[in-house]
Amino acid sequence: MVLEATMICIDNSEWMRNGDYSPSRFQAQADAVNLICGAKTQSNPENTVGVLIMAGKGVRVLVTPTSDLGKILACMHGLEVGGEMNLAAGIQVAQLALKHRQNKKQQQRIIVFAGSPVKHEKKMLEMIGRKLKKNSVALDIVNFGEDDEEKTEKLESLLAAVNNNDTSHIVHVPAGPNALSDVLISTPIFTGDGEGGSGFAAAAAAAAAGGVSGYDFGVDPNLDPELALALRVSMEEERARQEAAAKKAAEDTSKQGGEQQAGSQEASSQDATMTERASASTSEAENKTTDLMDDENALLQQALAMSMDEPAVGHDVKDTDMSEASVDDPELALALQLSVADSTKDQASQSEVLADQSAVSDILASLPGVDLNDPSIKDLLASMQNKSELQKKNDDKSSNEEKK
Amino acid sequence: MSGESATTAIHKGQVDLLDFIDWTSVECLNQSTTHSLPNAIKQGYREDEGLHLESDADEQLLLYIPFTQVIKLYSIAFKGPEDEGPKTVKLFSNKEHMGFSNVNDYPPSDTVVLSPEHLQVGKPVLLKYVKFQNVRSLTIFIEDNQTGSEITKVQKIQLIGSTVETTDMKGLKKIEDH
Repeated sequence: MVLEATMICIDNSEWMRNGDYSPSRFQAQADAVNLICGAKTQSNPENTVGVLIMAGKGVRVLVTPTSDLGKILACMHGLEVGGEMNLAAGIQVAQLALKHRQNKKQQQRIIVFAGSPVKHEKKMLEMIGRKLKKNSVALDIVNFGEDDEEKTEKLESLLAAVNNNDTSHIVHVPAGPNALSDVLISTPIFTGDGEGGSGFAAAAAAAAAGGVSGYDFGVDPNLDPELALALRVSMEEERARQEAAAKKAAEDTSKQGGEQQAGSQEASSQDATMTERASASTSEAENKTTDLMDDENALLQQALAMSMDEPAVGHDVKDTDMSEASVDDPELALALQLSVADSTKDQASQSEVLADQSAVSDILASLPGVDLNDPSIKDLLASMQNKSELQKKNDDKSSNEEKK
Repeated sequence: MSGESATTAIHKGQVDLLDFIDWTSVECLNQSTTHSLPNAIKQGYREDEGLHLESDADEQLLLYIPFTQVIKLYSIAFKGPEDEGPKTVKLFSNKEHMGFSNVNDYPPSDTVVLSPEHLQVGKPVLLKYVKFQNVRSLTIFIEDNQTGSEITKVQKIQLIGSTVETTDMKGLKKIEDH
């Protein structure tokens, strides 16, 4: 998402008539340019792209850096192939065009398509490279078409002179069945530095791989960028909303492992279940605060904290119940499973101790302070909802005992 | 800092303008990535002998320092190695986004020629005060260095001046930051 102004230097020299890239070198180059423009403007709407030609009658700027994709695509029409490429002049004019960009906050980048032989001296190219580096302009070179060692060497030295912290790249594209644009999609020229692939590039790659010219939502971003953007945004919003709902469900689940069972039994709809959990959680929260006030032992608080996580512990019986409840909603099921799995890992030791319901009541009976005939405890025992409350109390006492 | 001000005779009312620099928009062209501008102007970094600002492709440096409020610039001090430290320094006030190509298009607000003595202790050079009465941003163009070497190194840059409005608030902030 880096804010960038890009100038693309196109090689429209005689060498571009060659057909070793299908359908012709020039056409392959034009496709690549289209893709790059699209990718740049998509990755950041404030990005601007400009195009200039290096051959023909001379170096000429076709369109100054603009974020209007239509303008850029239109200028590619009706370009003629001829003349000789002037790489040095092309780069320098591109630098000048970038210097006069409207938004000075944009990073400067030049993308050069070098298809014909390079007639400049290596020293001259290095000087140009240093000048670019001095003015913090990044340079991407696409080396395709004519392939001779001298050219490669010169371009590599140019890159070395410009490169500052890996912001500049060179890509060598040999002739072959793969289209120029396809090869470029996977390169850092397309994906940007360290971004790991823009969404557009990924979509284009998928489309190219599938051999279908389909786009994300059946809408061509080139033809109707606003609609495509609107569809994409609404899709992401929907996804975010669903994730938020799933997250909320997971949170409620982790608080109320015990209540799940009751909730699921009583209500079939998800809404009712969540309300149930919500009400139960508030009552449990109150009980917990009372306990904190009774005993200011820091260790007790620790135990409480542990026991607060504890309701999420999956007991064998409760595990099945939870899975039953969640059958209706697959997303909820996933969230539940995740929370159970997570909490089970954390509370492994505790879960073993408390897995057995009968063992819990036995432990309770053995405790000095607890009388099973106590009416309040009876009430607690009777109600399924307060099962976890007991376990928590049990934890308090056992930890107190241990400390003593 | 107080010792330095005694020897360099900072006039009453003049302060180090370090705190009024707008760090978000500070830029430096042709700096080396490892030895960058904060090394020369940020508090703490600039005192550190091991950290300095270095040029990259050639010996020139172009610094752009905007301020958070309007200031008057009184003097400027450079500290650096005697051989690779800056020599000719041109200052431009209120010119944004200059490049190496247009530094020679405008007359500078002031030109400073540094001697090795200046660089050794960071002795402030008095500027044409009248030209720097209303400074929103300062562009410092380091044209060459003492020996003409490939790389220019600057240990510390200190801007001394005063603010146009009284800024008690900023003063409070200064103490909290440190």
